[in-house]
Amino acid sequence: MYNNVVSGVFNMCVENKISCLRFNFRGVGSSTGSHTSGKSELSDVEACIDFLINEKNNEKIIICGYSYGAAIGCSVVNFSEKIIGYCAISFPWDFMGLKYKKLSQTKKPKLFIQGNRDTIALYENFENHYNFYFEPKKYKIINGADHFYSGFEENVAHEVSEFYNSITK
Amino acid sequence: MDGFDKIFINNNEDRLEAELFLSNTENLPFVVLICHPHPQFFWV
Repeated sequence: MYNNVVSGVFNMCVENKISCLRFNFRGVGSSTGSHTSGKSELSDVEACIDFLINEKNNEKIIICGYSYGAAIGCSVVNFSEKIIGYCAISFPWDFMGLKYKKLSQTKKPKLFIQGNRDTIALYENFENHYNFYFEPKKYKIINGADHFYSGFEENVAHEVSEFYNSITK
Repeated sequence: MDGFDKIFINNNEDRLEAELFLSNTENLPFVVLICHPHPQFFWV
């Protein structure tokens, strides 16, 4: 959870006094358990959502995921009515397979952020994948950014902030 | 007053390391859940 993109979004939230939660999936950092290729990681996201709803009384949750975190996090979008939308940063559709593309389909608001030099979440396939999704949806291409967004962290965080403002006001 | 906590979230037999920032400035009901990339996949 200390990745540069995740930290950029987290710090933006704190600076703007937006409540936020970041966590490590099972088997990462000090989280217990081991990696299960996505199967149990979906339940990790659900556990975080249950925690926010049941223990912190949060009423409206926006999911923001980067790379693998986009595929897993956004695939839980229909888990609760209290999830009001998601922001996917470099969703790795081609790498992760159709399962997560289908699970992340929703009529809730969506923002897709993509670097035009990304060779992992392939930029040349972005439009085709984006067209799969229902409205409402938006996208933002970060020119010059590859999958790792080095030097573009503030650009990504700004787009997430704009999306947050657009669906909460 | 805003609150920042390092916590663990239970998921059945597992415990997930997490950081929570709760803003009380305007008692906004909104919260952003941030999911990270996996080091076994993308080495980031």
